[in-house]
Amino acid sequence: MAKSLRHSKKDIPKIARALCDEMLRDLEHAKRPTLQAIKCSLDNAIYDPKIGYLAPGKKKVTTELNVSSVQKLARTVFLLDIMLNNVELGTVNSTREFYYMAKGLVKSDNHLKPIDFDDQNESDAIIYYICDMLEVYREELNCFATDRGGQTYSQNLVVTETLPDGKKAVIDLSKLGTTPFQPKNQPQVFSLKPKKGKIDFCLVIESVSTANTFVHNGFTKRNNCILLGAQGVPSNGVRGWCKTIQDQLDCPIFFYGDLDAYTLQNIFRTLKAGSAASLIRNSDFSAPDVKFLGVLPEDIKKYDLHCYDVKEKDAAEARSLKKARDVLSNDPFFKDKKNKALADILRWLVKEKKRCEQQAIFSVNPKDPTMPEKIILDKIKNKSYV
Amino acid sequence: MGKIKASSTAEYFAKNLQQVGFSSPIKAVLTTLKEAVDNSLDACEDAGIAPEIKVKIKKIGRGSSKSTDLVDIVIEDNGPGLDADDLPKVFGEYLASSKFGKGQCSRGQQGIGISAATTWAQLTNAKGVKVVSKTKKMRKAVSAQVDVDIKANKGKIKNKETIDWDREHGLKVEFKIDGRIQLNGDGGLLTYLEGTALVNPHLTLEYELLDNEKVKIERVSEEVPKVPPSTLPHPHTMKLGEFITHAHLYNTSTLETFLKKGFSRVTDHSIKEFIKSGMPKNALTKKVQTIPDADFKNIFQAIQETELTNPSTRSVLVVGEEGLARSIQRLGDIDFFSVVTRKPTICDFKPVVVEVAIARFLDRSSKEDEPVQLIRFANRVPLQFDKGGCAITRAVESVNWRAYGLNQPRKSLPLGPYIFAVSVTSPFIKFKNASKETIDASDELVEELRLALMRAGQKLSRHIKRENKAADLERKIQHIEKFGPILVEGLAKIAHASDARKRKAEEGLERLLGRDTKSALEDLETAEEKLAVLKAKQKEKLGDMAKDEDGDYLEDELIKTTKKKVAAIAKKAASKKMASKKEAAKPDNKKVATKKTATKKATTKKVATKKAARKK
Repeated sequence: MAKSLRHSKKDIPKIARALCDEMLRDLEHAKRPTLQAIKCSLDNAIYDPKIGYLAPGKKKVTTELNVSSVQKLARTVFLLDIMLNNVELGTVNSTREFYYMAKGLVKSDNHLKPIDFDDQNESDAIIYYICDMLEVYREELNCFATDRGGQTYSQNLVVTETLPDGKKAVIDLSKLGTTPFQPKNQPQVFSLKPKKGKIDFCLVIESVSTANTFVHNGFTKRNNCILLGAQGVPSNGVRGWCKTIQDQLDCPIFFYGDLDAYTLQNIFRTLKAGSAASLIRNSDFSAPDVKFLGVLPEDIKKYDLHCYDVKEKDAAEARSLKKARDVLSNDPFFKDKKNKALADILRWLVKEKKRCEQQAIFSVNPKDPTMPEKIILDKIKNKSYV
Repeated sequence: MGKIKASSTAEYFAKNLQQVGFSSPIKAVLTTLKEAVDNSLDACEDAGIAPEIKVKIKKIGRGSSKSTDLVDIVIEDNGPGLDADDLPKVFGEYLASSKFGKGQCSRGQQGIGISAATTWAQLTNAKGVKVVSKTKKMRKAVSAQVDVDIKANKGKIKNKETIDWDREHGLKVEFKIDGRIQLNGDGGLLTYLEGTALVNPHLTLEYELLDNEKVKIERVSEEVPKVPPSTLPHPHTMKLGEFITHAHLYNTSTLETFLKKGFSRVTDHSIKEFIKSGMPKNALTKKVQTIPDADFKNIFQAIQETELTNPSTRSVLVVGEEGLARSIQRLGDIDFFSVVTRKPTICDFKPVVVEVAIARFLDRSSKEDEPVQLIRFANRVPLQFDKGGCAITRAVESVNWRAYGLNQPRKSLPLGPYIFAVSVTSPFIKFKNASKETIDASDELVEELRLALMRAGQKLSRHIKRENKAADLERKIQHIEKFGPILVEGLAKIAHASDARKRKAEEGLERLLGRDTKSALEDLETAEEKLAVLKAKQKEKLGDMAKDEDGDYLEDELIKTTKKKVAAIAKKAASKKMASKKEAAKPDNKKVATKKTATKKATTKKVATKKAARKK
């Protein structure tokens, strides 16, 4: 993650106490207390091509206390108390740890039994609600998710990390052998520099295993580049890391993944412009300069890639296509003319009902293990990206 | 090629008893009981006697075959009794029946069942049936053993004697057979006896099974149903071949006379309609014997294309909604029931009446996630085996019970602690097999059954809606009790609030959530009123409306409990309010209050003075 977010400009304990005090006062007067949070959904997302990411609109979600919401509010206040303790003490916990901590407290006190969480999804939803309500990042509440994705390889990148105690750790990625460097899913302060000269490009690959195969076949040895695996929908860690690369290194960033609606709207759009669910943190968790290298529809013919039909009988595929149609008419990112070329790819997918996996390039010439690399470089050279 | 020889009917059935319900030791006991009870009921109804039947079944030793018991089955009725000469015919001769081919809604039809039971007793225990019979004319009862002469298909009477019997008339039969006793479940004896009681409100049934206590189910109707006489056939119930055969019974009459006298629901008006549909007008005056077979086809087609009134309701026997409603209540403590009797209609050219009773018993331990208990009836006889392919099962499964508030897996029976009793009555029920366990599932019959089931479902849904509202209220009350204190405690902890603030917030919360439960209670009351109207209608029919002293309908336990809880919450909130008022009324607090009021008054006065100065 790019920036240190631990030292928030907001005085979270003070805001939280004021909020609870107001709710308590409302209750004393038998008035229904309300909680307001930014509405984190597509219909409250604004896309400004100049800033390049999805920003929140003015809509708010108001939760008023009634019989139906009393459970949610009780859970919110219960978890807020635990999280505030962490903020005040400066200790951190992961979302999973918060789930187990809450469970432990509930189990040991019969009085709290009604707010028990059945699974982590329930406690996660409350944590995100608290973030939206206080308009803070989850990380600002000292709550982190498990590290996922972002495994990075390069022969020409040196990362300097400033640790919380002020000490600096210098990591030369070329010295790590076959081990990748992986950004954490929590605030880290990085300074990036090439070992020498300038880095030619950064390639983000949807699948970590495909990224590993590229490295194994010598891609990073032969090219002055950064190669990283996103591992599906990018985590906050991966999104922040890409933004750091974009901000600190003057090199183009390319994304390579499947040619299907899910990759375009869920993976690539999140990496480039953030997501509707994280409207309040997209400014720090998106890399608007990243380009979609492929697989592009024209690549299928040009490189003779194997593709196959999307079966609408398959419930998951049908849902994905329906979502693609909805996105074209509702998503401000795809509706903006700046991203017309990306929207055209979605339209092509909806019309042709075809998909092509990122791994299709391995089958172009199975006897030549460098063929995928050749295709990628050819595409970059010929500016065959969107 | 061997010599071709004819076998007797008894010989055939003795070798194929599995075809008539004796395919296993369990079924043997049930079928024997069923045949004897059905005969008793038919005999009583024929004689206009309100039936009183006693059943006693017990194990008396080991059976002769492997894994069987020797079971003693005794059935006694107060029917008209049988003459001594009729005993061998009834119990020992196959196809000896007074009802064969008559087209009536009687339980027995062919005269096979009870002779098959005698054969089974004879095959497994080497003794036929022991019968005691007394008619009104007899001074003493006749006691005898009847065996089947299998080679000759004749009944053989043995050990005949006259005995004293302390009753005016009646019949008692005793079978000692190899079998196994199953009380509960689809094929259980209890299911049969309760089912029989359900569709026979005029029956008093007393039974003693194994070592269990004697149970007596009293009749709820004094009216003995009269099995309708076989009426003239309806033209739409026939096929061409049957039509021609029927016509030749009226050979010397004209076609018009034949149509009017040989069928029900054919009038002068219908004959005009037949002509409009293509029947040659000149044929009407011709004698039936002069009409060539080829012309019959045109006449038959014209009749089939003409719409006719449904067949006479007298040709089918109906238990009736009132009878079913009364009857179902004597089977246990009922929480809710709905009964539907459809009008007679034609399905597959036959008059049919469908009746449905749905009930939920409070004293049965069936669960929410188990399928409902489906009891099927054909001509008032419970069908207990081969449920799968039956028209009734298919109809129940095809109805969307979720729309009426019941859970239902796809294309299956709905779930819940309900009993679904579905009865099909018709003089011509088409069974799938000789043991009469499964009604053939024709599209028309299934649709007719569906209509009846859906109507019953609509009535049921009113009850379930009321329950959902009550559950909603209960949930809301629980929410107040569960989450309220946790919320207030959490808020007070984060806001570092005092205990007094915490208490005040708790009171405020109770007042707020009390308002929510009040609206839920109003919803419940609306649903409750609708249900009360339905229940009142049902109870009015029964004539024993359950009212309290003020004449209001009695509330059920669930409503009472939830209302009590709401009242308790309101009372708690009110007492806390009083307590805080009392606290404020204490001298020290009063001083503070007075001081506050004085300050307020002073401020108001100051503002008023300032305003007046500005005006000046």
